[in-house]
Amino acid sequence: MVMLNQNSSSQNQFWSLLSKKLSKEASSEELQELQSILLNNPDLHHHADMLTEMWQQRAVNNSDGSEAAYIRHIMKHKDEFFVEENPIEINSDGPVSETNPGFFRTLISKKRFTVFSFLALIVLTTGSIYLFTKKRDTKLTAVQAISSIVTKNGNRTKIVLPDGSQVWLNAGSNLDYNNSVFNKDLREVTLNGEAYFDVTRNPEKPFIIHTKKMDIKVLGTVFNVRSYSDEKITEAALIKGSIEVTLKDRKDQKIILKPNEKISIANEELKTEAKQSKIIPAKNNTVRIPQIVVKELKPNPTSNIIGEIAWTQNKLYFEDENLEDIALRMERWFGKKVTIANESLKNIHYTGNFENETIEDVLSYLKLSKSFNFRLGNDNVVIY
Amino acid sequence: MNIPEDLSHLCERIANDDQLAYRQLFIQFYNKLSRFVMGFTKSKELTEEIVSDVFINIWRRRKNIEEIKNLKLYLYVSAKNITFNYLKKLHRENLTDLDLVEIEPEDPFADPGAAMITREMNLKLKAAINNLPPRCKLIFTLIKEDGLTYKQTAQLLNISESTVENQLSIALKRISGAIRYTFRHN
Repeated sequence: MVMLNQNSSSQNQFWSLLSKKLSKEASSEELQELQSILLNNPDLHHHADMLTEMWQQRAVNNSDGSEAAYIRHIMKHKDEFFVEENPIEINSDGPVSETNPGFFRTLISKKRFTVFSFLALIVLTTGSIYLFTKKRDTKLTAVQAISSIVTKNGNRTKIVLPDGSQVWLNAGSNLDYNNSVFNKDLREVTLNGEAYFDVTRNPEKPFIIHTKKMDIKVLGTVFNVRSYSDEKITEAALIKGSIEVTLKDRKDQKIILKPNEKISIANEELKTEAKQSKIIPAKNNTVRIPQIVVKELKPNPTSNIIGEIAWTQNKLYFEDENLEDIALRMERWFGKKVTIANESLKNIHYTGNFENETIEDVLSYLKLSKSFNFRLGNDNVVIY
Repeated sequence: MNIPEDLSHLCERIANDDQLAYRQLFIQFYNKLSRFVMGFTKSKELTEEIVSDVFINIWRRRKNIEEIKNLKLYLYVSAKNITFNYLKKLHRENLTDLDLVEIEPEDPFADPGAAMITREMNLKLKAAINNLPPRCKLIFTLIKEDGLTYKQTAQLLNISESTVENQLSIALKRISGAIRYTFRHN
């Protein structure tokens, strides 16, 4: 304990006055009184200074994890946040069984949510329609019953899989699964593009997502997977739970991701930015192995947005990305062909967050920070 | 650094169904309310459920949210009430005792590089804060981290303002002791 050579009442007075000062409860008389105690007791100065400095650290507002908590909160009470418009529900309940051919087993809902404003466009491949009719008259139909959900550029959609898992499919993506075996021993889907998954927990039946570069196995969790074949990187970002990632070209190696971590893999042998991250080094031999980076998911300190999942909140968000990549993102987002005619513009970097804006708005904003011109056509844009 | 938006302005937007304003309110208070609730429940899952309840109630009554005089205090009081109801349901009323509350405050210096203190001192401070008696630590945290006033803290915890004042003095005095100790050994 602090031993001061003062009488105890003056001491107690000091702590009480300092408390009041720090918590902004002190009157001007009290502040004066504190001042005079400090004058008479120089050795108290240090305590006052140090505690003041410590107190001011409060300004750091820690919001780690609250973005993910918000998504869970919204999901938990979705009926109160998502207003349905023109619901078209094709629904069939009950588990998968032989007698239930269940082409529409998947609860396919075409809803427009106010939060997400997903424009749902659900395309089921002819394969499954074919089987739906075929399956009725033949018993030997353990074959292809592929359901394929496709989003065109400019569209995003939400689907509920037969096991109750929810998938938000970003623009220009497709998700396939085999209706006849999904949810039997495994729950397997194939993704090309980007999707945010909220997987219903079922340890008995692992949920596996196949992408070009990696397979992701989960038991029940929330995460985002991005695997567009025309992009440089395949990545999986975990919000909640845990997932196990297996790389296509290194099947023996498994990587377990913890919440708020993301893994990125170069689609070709490209350099990935690996600042401040733990890197699993590629083996130093002649075989070229894609570079893998695992890093922490962090909301941007000023905007509080986690870039990886911003799109699920209907935000077109990019952080320090070059115009070439942004053009590709806008192309998918707005469904308009975006071309950059001037090579020197491709490497300009931008950070931005857009909601409900048109492509013209977005380009006009970007233009403000580093100038370029653009020409808007009916279904294309040229930046020059 | 987050500059907290004026709450009355947020309220106005929430009353107009603005989910972005609602989200901002959530993000601003989620961790703080969780820390407070966690002190009583000691369960992460239950805490998340309770804080989610606090916020869904806000959304449900958004049309008259502007009737709430002090939204910040309202959030804490509502968190406390819901927590105590849950604990009652679970027959864990004993956990509502302020002397059993286990609060985990933020690190005294989250970014020690920025402040003129040594790592050792930071650890000493942290230990001193953690060793405060439960009630004292709770009051210290509510005032320092959550920015509640003496009066709000007193209302929230059903204690007198002079108790709040005393407890905070005790906290500072004890924490200061840790600093002195460090200096002697430097």
